[in-house]
Amino acid sequence: MIIPDMMSTETNIIKYNHRQAGHCESGATSNLFAFNGLEISEPMAFGIGNGLFFSYLPFLKLQFAPMITFRNFPNMVFRKGTEYLGVDATVRKSIKDPKEAMKALDENIMKGIPTGLQVGVFKLTFFPPEYRMHYNMHNLVVFGKEGNNYHVSDTVMETPQIISYEDLVQVRYAKGAFAPKGKMYWINSIVPDPDFKTAIKKGIKRTVYDMIKIPFPLVGVKGIRWLAGDVKKWQKKLGNDKASFYLGQILRMAEEFGTGGAGYRYIFGSFLQEAGVMLSNDGLLETSDMMGKTANKWREFTYLGARNCKDRSKPEEDYGMLSNMLREIANDEEKVYRKLDKIII
Amino acid sequence: MEKNQNPGFKDQDFGQSKELFYYYQDGGNYDKKVGFHPESDAVILQQAWDLFKERIEAARKKVIDGETSPVVYYMEKNLLDPLNLSMMAGISIWRVKRHFKPRVFQRLNEKTLEKYATAFNITIDQLKKVE
Repeated sequence: MIIPDMMSTETNIIKYNHRQAGHCESGATSNLFAFNGLEISEPMAFGIGNGLFFSYLPFLKLQFAPMITFRNFPNMVFRKGTEYLGVDATVRKSIKDPKEAMKALDENIMKGIPTGLQVGVFKLTFFPPEYRMHYNMHNLVVFGKEGNNYHVSDTVMETPQIISYEDLVQVRYAKGAFAPKGKMYWINSIVPDPDFKTAIKKGIKRTVYDMIKIPFPLVGVKGIRWLAGDVKKWQKKLGNDKASFYLGQILRMAEEFGTGGAGYRYIFGSFLQEAGVMLSNDGLLETSDMMGKTANKWREFTYLGARNCKDRSKPEEDYGMLSNMLREIANDEEKVYRKLDKIII
Repeated sequence: MEKNQNPGFKDQDFGQSKELFYYYQDGGNYDKKVGFHPESDAVILQQAWDLFKERIEAARKKVIDGETSPVVYYMEKNLLDPLNLSMMAGISIWRVKRHFKPRVFQRLNEKTLEKYATAFNITIDQLKKVE
């Protein structure tokens, strides 16, 4: 147990606007930008920060099922977003001593800087029970301190939350895969008129690269195809119950865990639309429409998949159908990225 | 938070918090709305929940029958697998797996027990038996 030192008696609550968002990190990034005087929406932060991704890692297990992610590595959105928009920001990657990490946080709060943290979800006291899992890539912003308690803005929740010193140390030093190790980040200053055009261009270019150009089979569009192939085989290989559980876990990944629905596809489409309007680019608007339709297909996939989990009467056909659907989704998404690749912004 | 506000998740502890979801209508408009999870999600959440409970129960029985050590029970209770447990406790994975045997577990020294107890957030006395 770590005992708070003398600093802990001070109180400072920064006037910070908590807005709920679909995705924890892009929400936190957008809120931090807004605090520093630059209004950007959550999808904009997500798109510029290159948040979209897909990878299917059957050899890694998360809660007894193959690991699937729809997003990029933790801290990518904040790092890339600030880099592309030319914002002066600091990221402290790992701090060995928890006491020092908390002291650094306290100093920031006293200076009036809201600070983003990477935390583990399992011991987060205010989280709803369905999120109780060993997932260490969650983000929240601390914006105030009152005695032994911290005021926390977690974009998954409707309202700001309060967490005690001891609990905050626990989640900042959660152990396991992708351990946060006390990572913290904040914005120092923002240039008044950032170059959105270049930032959007860079963000889109990287996303396109990640989704179709990485020469490795399990990531990007190729990963979706690989998953489609595996979904078909699950029933024979694993039996009814396990196949159903695996499928359920994919759906949870896509819909439940703070994705804004359909594994961030809606957020990315919304970004494309916003960018299209901002730069008055018809190509972007068209791709945003395509992305929206693909996202609707994802949602239909999760809906049918959930029905399949409920009623396992004719599963053989169903898994085949779901697999075909995934293949179709992969084709549609590839079209979007190929088109984006050719658009001149 | 008031309990059971969500009509789709009547008798469940989860699914009671509102989140932000995005929508898209054909014709080109994105929309976002704060709301509960759709009812269809109840099934997949319940399924995962049931599986975890089943695993915990199975582990408890095995410990009482003397087939495995309590480490397995607490591992399942904390929704961990051996790899994650080894990372959390700071004990190599093959040793963790060896400690699943009751005979080996009984001979463990205080230091190792302490590591497990911290990882599971319980006391050593609790670790030695199942609830």
